[in-house]
Amino acid sequence: MEILMGFFLGVLAMMSVMGLAYLSTIIKLEWYTWSSLVTGVIAVLFGIGWLWASFLEGYPQSGSLGLIVFSGAGVFMLVLTWRFLVGPALEHRTKG
Amino acid sequence: MSNEQEPATVPEEQQKAAAGADAPGEAPDLLKDSSRRLLFKRAMVGGGAALLGGAGAYGAARVSLEGRPVKDYPLIDETLFKPKDQRDTILNFVSSKALNEKHPERNEQYNRLQNKEFDWVNGFRDMYSKPWDNNKPGYTQMDRALQKAGWEPLNIAGSRLSANLQPDTPFNSWDQSGVEKEQYQFKSKQEASDAIKTAARLFGAVKCGIARRDRRWDYDPLYDIENEKELSWEKDFPFEPKTVIVILLPMDYDCISTAPAWTADGTAADGYTQMGVKATQIATFLHVMGYHAVGAGNDLGSSVPYAIMAGLGEGGRNGHLLAPGMGPRVRIAKVYTDLDFVEYDQPHTWGITEFCLSCGKCADACPSEAIPKLEDENGGYGFQPSYEFSDEPGYTWNNHLGIRKFYSDAKKCYNFWVENGGACSACIASCTFNEPDAWHHWFIMAINPFSPGFLHGLMAEAHPAFGYGHTNDPTKPLKFWKTGEGMRTNIQMKNNIGTSNKS
Repeated sequence: MEILMGFFLGVLAMMSVMGLAYLSTIIKLEWYTWSSLVTGVIAVLFGIGWLWASFLEGYPQSGSLGLIVFSGAGVFMLVLTWRFLVGPALEHRTKG
Repeated sequence: MSNEQEPATVPEEQQKAAAGADAPGEAPDLLKDSSRRLLFKRAMVGGGAALLGGAGAYGAARVSLEGRPVKDYPLIDETLFKPKDQRDTILNFVSSKALNEKHPERNEQYNRLQNKEFDWVNGFRDMYSKPWDNNKPGYTQMDRALQKAGWEPLNIAGSRLSANLQPDTPFNSWDQSGVEKEQYQFKSKQEASDAIKTAARLFGAVKCGIARRDRRWDYDPLYDIENEKELSWEKDFPFEPKTVIVILLPMDYDCISTAPAWTADGTAADGYTQMGVKATQIATFLHVMGYHAVGAGNDLGSSVPYAIMAGLGEGGRNGHLLAPGMGPRVRIAKVYTDLDFVEYDQPHTWGITEFCLSCGKCADACPSEAIPKLEDENGGYGFQPSYEFSDEPGYTWNNHLGIRKFYSDAKKCYNFWVENGGACSACIASCTFNEPDAWHHWFIMAINPFSPGFLHGLMAEAHPAFGYGHTNDPTKPLKFWKTGEGMRTNIQMKNNIGTSNKS
């Protein structure tokens, strides 16, 4: 199951890399925007890994809380970054 | 600074190619599409960076888990320190009728100050005769059976008292008649060290370190409880030890989680049995290699400082060795030998003792309040005890003074064992470093040395919030007795190192 978790997280990581790479081809963003996006993605993946490992060891409470704390913080960061930094830039590009 | 400017421009023909707008009947040449090439290029760079970052983080974690060598262990106050008389230890004292008759003031003082009517010697004898209650999880006939079964091999071998510091028992015999005359010559110190640790690994040790013999940690004089006789290192011990091999033996995570129920005593008792078996196996290995060796459990010397000297962990608030990855959920066995052509280990730190200064979960969980609390003087950390009544003359007779560490009142701890009808282990189960064997716990362990004090306090609070370390929970024994499910196939190949995944 640990191997499956590693594979699944690898797939998710590569999908995230592809998404960020695609974003980089259509829009130019500042370094701090990239930092926020990458940190958010890492936090989301970390939370999923934590959830999986905690369920495997038989501690669902740890998994649930880990998902909220780590992935929740990551999603929050991604949403804010998208809303205030990426979104306006995309909108400006579309109008332009 | 703005993100809103400079949209990337894509040439029209490339946009057509990307949309598959090639001439009818022709396959689009994706590699000629510069926007796709750019995407793949950046994905590769991003993927490579992610791979390098992951590998780098893994490597850094591995280095961190090796620990950092320390030069200032132990810190000793020479005005207080003197070698520890084996008779002045709790487990030795309660096993000896003669010592109890010699020191009635110890019992009288404890009962007077603690307002108890505790019988030290008979208490130990009667500990496992407390009646079970099949309606009380953790205190049923089944839990009593587990306790007794755990001890039984030591009883059969006549070595049960080794847990109470009795030296020269059949498992940890001083008999050296099996030592071969031909002494194997190791090519290097590293080869000797590797060979010993390989044997220890094979026989079931989860960690093994090698320390120089240090008279400060040896009980002196030694004491034969069965014959009520003082023993001397010079006159009675069969050789002059130069080296102490220290092995750690794991206790079961799910079983310890049931503390302070009798169930937890099952893995503690089994741990003592394993100590006897493994130490005698390594001693015999050395005998056949032509070296003198004597195995030891709790006897001969203080196990925790020897384990620290062997680089296996750090001293914790609860008085146990805290080993990275398992915390205090280990039992320590030692092998004294005259082999000194060996690579010695040295003390290391992982920021564990530092963490204990901000944690205190074991003290909160201790049913007898024997462990120093955070609010005690210096957090309970110093060269002598600061617990209640420690300033009463003679009350700290069981402590080894003059070493900088956390001092517990083991008298209260032992008193609870007897009242409980079995050893407790609540300070082991509740320890923040007592973790199942999973990557996220190793991750926390790896970042611990770099975490500031306030984060230690936060991590200590997070541990129970995430569901770990709860004691006195009647659901735990019920869950433990289900951990045998799936043992026919046991696809996780987990047994007693981490959780069995059924907790």
